[in-house]
Amino acid sequence: MSTYLGYLLAGLGSGAVIASLALGLVLSHRTSGVVNFAHAAMGMYVAFAYFEFRETGELVLPFLGLPARIYLLPRPTQTTALIVAVLLAATLGLLVYLLVFRPLRQAAPLARVVASLGLLLYLQEIVRLRFPVSGAVATRHRPVLADDPIDLLGTTVTQNRLLLLLLAVVAAAVLGAVFRFTRFGLATRAAAGNEKGALLLGISPDRLGAVSWAVASVIAGIAVILIEPIAGISATTTPLLVIPALAAALLGGLESFAITTAAGVAIGMVQSLILGWAVRPDTTWLPDWLPTTGIQQFVPVLVIIAVLVWRGDALPDRAAVSGRRLPPAPEPRNVLAWTVVLVGGAATMLATAGTELRHALIISLAFSLLTLSVVVVTGFSGQISLAQLAFAGVAGFASIRLTEHQVPFPVALVLAATLATLIGVIVGYPATRVRGMSLAIATLAMAVAIEELVLASPPFSGGHAGAAAPRPFLLGLDVGVGATGSDNFRPAFGYVCLGVLTLAALGVVNLRRNRTGLRWLAVRANERAAAAAGIDVTRAKLGAFAVSSFLAGLCGVLMAFSVTTLSPTSFLVIGALVAVALTYLAGVSSVGGALLAGALAQAGIVTTLLSSKGGGDADTYVFAISGIALILTAIFAPEGITGLVRDRVASLRHAAHRAGDQSPTSAVARVEGGPA
Amino acid sequence: MSALLEVGGLTVKHGGLIALDDVSLTVAEGQVVGLIGPNGAGKTTFIDALTGFTAPARGHVHFEGRDLTDAPPHERSLAGLVRTFQSLELFDDLSVRDNLLVAAHPPTLWSTITDLFWPKSHDSAETHGILELLDLLPIADRLPTELSNGERHVVALGRALVSSPKLLLLDEPAAGLDPSETAELTERLRRLPEIGTSVLVVDHDMSLILGVCDEVHVLDFGRLVASGPPEAIRTDPTVIAAYLGRSA
Repeated sequence: MSTYLGYLLAGLGSGAVIASLALGLVLSHRTSGVVNFAHAAMGMYVAFAYFEFRETGELVLPFLGLPARIYLLPRPTQTTALIVAVLLAATLGLLVYLLVFRPLRQAAPLARVVASLGLLLYLQEIVRLRFPVSGAVATRHRPVLADDPIDLLGTTVTQNRLLLLLLAVVAAAVLGAVFRFTRFGLATRAAAGNEKGALLLGISPDRLGAVSWAVASVIAGIAVILIEPIAGISATTTPLLVIPALAAALLGGLESFAITTAAGVAIGMVQSLILGWAVRPDTTWLPDWLPTTGIQQFVPVLVIIAVLVWRGDALPDRAAVSGRRLPPAPEPRNVLAWTVVLVGGAATMLATAGTELRHALIISLAFSLLTLSVVVVTGFSGQISLAQLAFAGVAGFASIRLTEHQVPFPVALVLAATLATLIGVIVGYPATRVRGMSLAIATLAMAVAIEELVLASPPFSGGHAGAAAPRPFLLGLDVGVGATGSDNFRPAFGYVCLGVLTLAALGVVNLRRNRTGLRWLAVRANERAAAAAGIDVTRAKLGAFAVSSFLAGLCGVLMAFSVTTLSPTSFLVIGALVAVALTYLAGVSSVGGALLAGALAQAGIVTTLLSSKGGGDADTYVFAISGIALILTAIFAPEGITGLVRDRVASLRHAAHRAGDQSPTSAVARVEGGPA
Repeated sequence: MSALLEVGGLTVKHGGLIALDDVSLTVAEGQVVGLIGPNGAGKTTFIDALTGFTAPARGHVHFEGRDLTDAPPHERSLAGLVRTFQSLELFDDLSVRDNLLVAAHPPTLWSTITDLFWPKSHDSAETHGILELLDLLPIADRLPTELSNGERHVVALGRALVSSPKLLLLDEPAAGLDPSETAELTERLRRLPEIGTSVLVVDHDMSLILGVCDEVHVLDFGRLVASGPPEAIRTDPTVIAAYLGRSA
């Protein structure tokens, strides 16, 4: 009994951090309506900066282009360092609000999701690039809180865990009191209820937003600093603490500080209990293939899905129809010409280019299938899915297992993609009840669950070692990618990728030009009106998820056969964020956007061409730069690069038309012909 | 002649508020029926409940003898019970033609699969017919956002008509229209039964309702307070009280 109690109490620390992060999520959501996916990443950056400052007296700045470090003090004390960390966190929160989320206050949910993903990527890369300690486990720094053991209820718990809990509870109590009893709280509640009304009362939602983002950022920073001695911090895992925090915040309805805190602590304790239980030698009923950490991660996922589906509605209510839209999805034109040019270009390149460029092209071709899947699910049907790479991962390893069992390569390709389709429809199920930001949260949670439970399972993926695909044959021809020396990355495999991508892209073009695509666009534009027009909204959404996850599955299979060994780390959630980000950047609602995004992939043709010319920096900074690009696109060009080009071409055409044709249009004639 | 639509005891609650209280009415085939009432009387809630956008607490909706009380919105639409929205709710990303095309055919699994391989199967006879009937052909390729308010109303009507509904539920179709546009609408509504579409129209505009309807129902505070031919409704003291306030 006391063992289990011990496990529960050990979870107090991470529970308190989850609660603190969740408090910040609730706070920033209540004052600005944004669910900030980068919240834990902000705390992580502050914590890294704190420890670095404490050791070296140097402050590490998070801006590309500015000096990385400023030297402040010779030997900062703990108090000085904490003060600096608080100031840094407050400034970061303020900047993030003013530069990123304030401009997006009226934007579509996807734009805000994308911006916060951009921020997450950016901060993660800044930490990776600018701090010496950024491996999987950070080395132990001098801890802020003592970890003396304390006897409690017949077992022991360390002091720092209890203090962390105290911090979370005090923060929740103060926030609750401020919201209930002060003018600030009243103003926030007023602004959340009716922003225009609050403005009329002389309350600035801007100032409320700025203050609460600063406070949320400080709480996150301190929480991550304090958890470091207990759980360690890393650029890979710490940003994902946002998932259990989201689960807690959702349980609190993104509203109640008290429930959120309790839920956060409870999630941390249950996770700890499950982990403790699963690793005990006498726990034999768990199957071997189930990774123990995965079960632990599955707790918040279950909570998130349950809350969202339970609270969700099959159709949005009368008031919920949002004013802002996704970029328009124009009907594809000149398909034949584009197909000939692009396929011809890629084939020529495969036949003539060197090893390096062939490799880059193969990567871009495979990645284009992933971005194409984002175009289908998000660009066409308006559903945000952050699980696309997880589908690819499942299909990738499945295809390896299938070909190992003598299933021919083309059959394995289709079967594995079909498996991805099944999983995609399951993951997409919450989409029939929730939308926008909530759906992004749900799919992100599912992606983490797939990553932790399925992709980390040794018998399936080979665990850390990964798995090697057998050599693929197509109609008896060897289409394997590998060869010795400069023959490596054989064109034969490139042609297979090109063929698969061409068929897939043409299929998506056809979808857009046919009624199925129209129906998805109708659902994207207005679910209520779509239902009234006789469209089964549930089926439309699941259909889009099905097609999209099939495409993601194809990508996964091609990835599996394009490397010597396929590792589960190729499918980390963060990669899925990059895919969504790049697609949004390139143009999320057109096939052209997907192809451009594929070209822009990490180690794809664009970065390879750039780094061969520009000294190799492009690849190092690709995540950080795409993070910034993403934020900028969300704010300034929600239609992405292809949208910008299209507008440019259209306005040029319009100008040419004007110049050539002096007769006024009928609308103008009507206005001018009317009574003066 | 049997009733096309038969609504019995329909009651809708929004939390503690009773938005519709025990409303029963029928619409016969070929009729144009009006539903009037002051703001907040529950007119839109009635259409929402008929089309599956609001779940009723009690009561039933029978359409052509079929019980549709618990059917999801799209099934009712496919069954021929089609609505418009007060705020039109056009698909702003789609051209006028595509707005209609979306509503034209129920999809099948097969058509979804063939859509992947077939380059294009656009424009149907129905769509073209409705575009022609409503004089929408000149603006068929424009986006709804580029149109005037009057034109947008016609597009919304067209989208509802393209599936040849048996009963069209119009939610304040004259809202925001000028008198000449309202007159044009009145003329169109009058002719709908000729092409096999009966009409239930909800509006404040007495001239529209009284000018076009065979029968009128009056809703006040969620209750049906009067029913009858337009001439009778015009002089009904209950109706006058509902519109002008009750005398003590």
